[in-house]
Amino acid sequence: MISLRGVSLLYPNGVRALDQVSLEIAKGEFVFLVGHSGTGKSSLLRLLYREAPPTTGEITVDGIRVDRLPARRVPALRRHLGVVFQDFKLLPDKTVWENVAFAMQVTGAPTKEIMRQVPRALDLVGLSHRSRMYPDELSGGEQQRTAIARALVNNPKILLCDEPTGNLDPANTTEIVDLLLRINLKGTTVVVATHNQAVVDRMRRRVVRLENGKIATDKERGYYYLGLGQGQVLSG
Amino acid sequence: MQLTAIGTVAVTLMLLGAFLFIRTTLADLGNGMLQQIEISVYVDPNATPHEIAALRASFRADPRIASVAFIPKSEGLKELRDRTRGVIDTSLLTENPLPDKFRVRVHDPALVPAVAADLRRLTGVGNVVYGQQVVQRLLRLGEVLRRVGMALIALFLVVAGIIISNTTRIAVYARRREIGIMQLVGATNMYIRMPFICEGLVVGMLGSAAAVVLLVAARETLWPRMLEALPFVQFNVASVDVPSLILQLFLVGGIIGASAAWFAVGRHLQT
Repeated sequence: MISLRGVSLLYPNGVRALDQVSLEIAKGEFVFLVGHSGTGKSSLLRLLYREAPPTTGEITVDGIRVDRLPARRVPALRRHLGVVFQDFKLLPDKTVWENVAFAMQVTGAPTKEIMRQVPRALDLVGLSHRSRMYPDELSGGEQQRTAIARALVNNPKILLCDEPTGNLDPANTTEIVDLLLRINLKGTTVVVATHNQAVVDRMRRRVVRLENGKIATDKERGYYYLGLGQGQVLSG
Repeated sequence: MQLTAIGTVAVTLMLLGAFLFIRTTLADLGNGMLQQIEISVYVDPNATPHEIAALRASFRADPRIASVAFIPKSEGLKELRDRTRGVIDTSLLTENPLPDKFRVRVHDPALVPAVAADLRRLTGVGNVVYGQQVVQRLLRLGEVLRRVGMALIALFLVVAGIIISNTTRIAVYARRREIGIMQLVGATNMYIRMPFICEGLVVGMLGSAAAVVLLVAARETLWPRMLEALPFVQFNVASVDVPSLILQLFLVGGIIGASAAWFAVGRHLQT
């Protein structure tokens, strides 16, 4: 589903965000991308939704060569992905319903479709009762759920999450991660970049660890730190 | 901010409209004069009837000549009186200073100088006159006005475009968060551009509307005054196609507005 081969990303200011990264993610997987801030987790996700092209390497997402994608094809790519951010990125002057519908409107979906899919997405995240409220009337967890609903409304095959629980308290965090898990169980490939150790250790899913732009470890049923048991720190 | 943009476009288009109006009128005037240009072939006072008849034959034989009219001196004086009525008091003339003349018209105004030169050489011809200098001066004036006018108009169009562009950029910047989210969700650049382009279009056309209103008002008040001041110039008001002019102004206003907005948004979307 997602494939990176020899991918490097060099920012104009000289920072090497990713260094010869190769990674394969199969359809339906749930993958955590972990590492300290600045190790390249967000950069990697950004490459997947083509916020920037890689400096070198090949990236394939759902059969599309993303690294070679011309700028005018990027919107089409993004319609097949769902992306969720730490700061939710909701439109403040639109209601929950309108925010979710927005993702369908910009793709030119017919109103009938919108009326069908938006309630489904809101139902999935458990926000049907809040559909008329505005983002500033919602809790952090509810805002993130709105963002997730929006990410899912076009039925994407892949959901990318960049620190989705970064702005949430532990209770909301658990809620959101459980939601992501449910979504994954329905068949969506989910990639979550996070530095929330507790969440990662609780879930025991595939954990890909980045350090200094390289993949340090890649383990199924992994821990935040390499499987030396919970709470132990890797030296070096 | 929008009012400034609309105002600038209005002023620019007013100038453009006035300029086009004047240019068309002048061009028409010039052409009209050229068409009517008559070569006055004054007969030598000492010419014999035989020579005059020979002249008539030469005129008939010349394929370049379209029509010939003989104006005896008495009629010439009457015409002069009519044309200068109120300006010159011809009753002061004790005797008729005018000679007989042939009024010659040619098919192609461009041949006038050549024909005149040929006619001058014929026997019995005293003088050959055609309004050369007046017409040429008029046309040259028109050309100068045209060049200067175009330069000014171009300048103003650029200024109007810049102002609309800046207005749009501010609007785009104010909505950059929303635009960013639109891009993340998969909106095409065209989808994002559209509202701004429409806004630019509207601003441009409102400017056109203002310009049209002002121009029509100006024409209603100024035109009659001008006709009073220049009675001997045969302006043909009907020659200016007003609906077409209005359409052109709206077109220009719309295009400036839309393209300025297009570029303004485009620069933001390059990121």
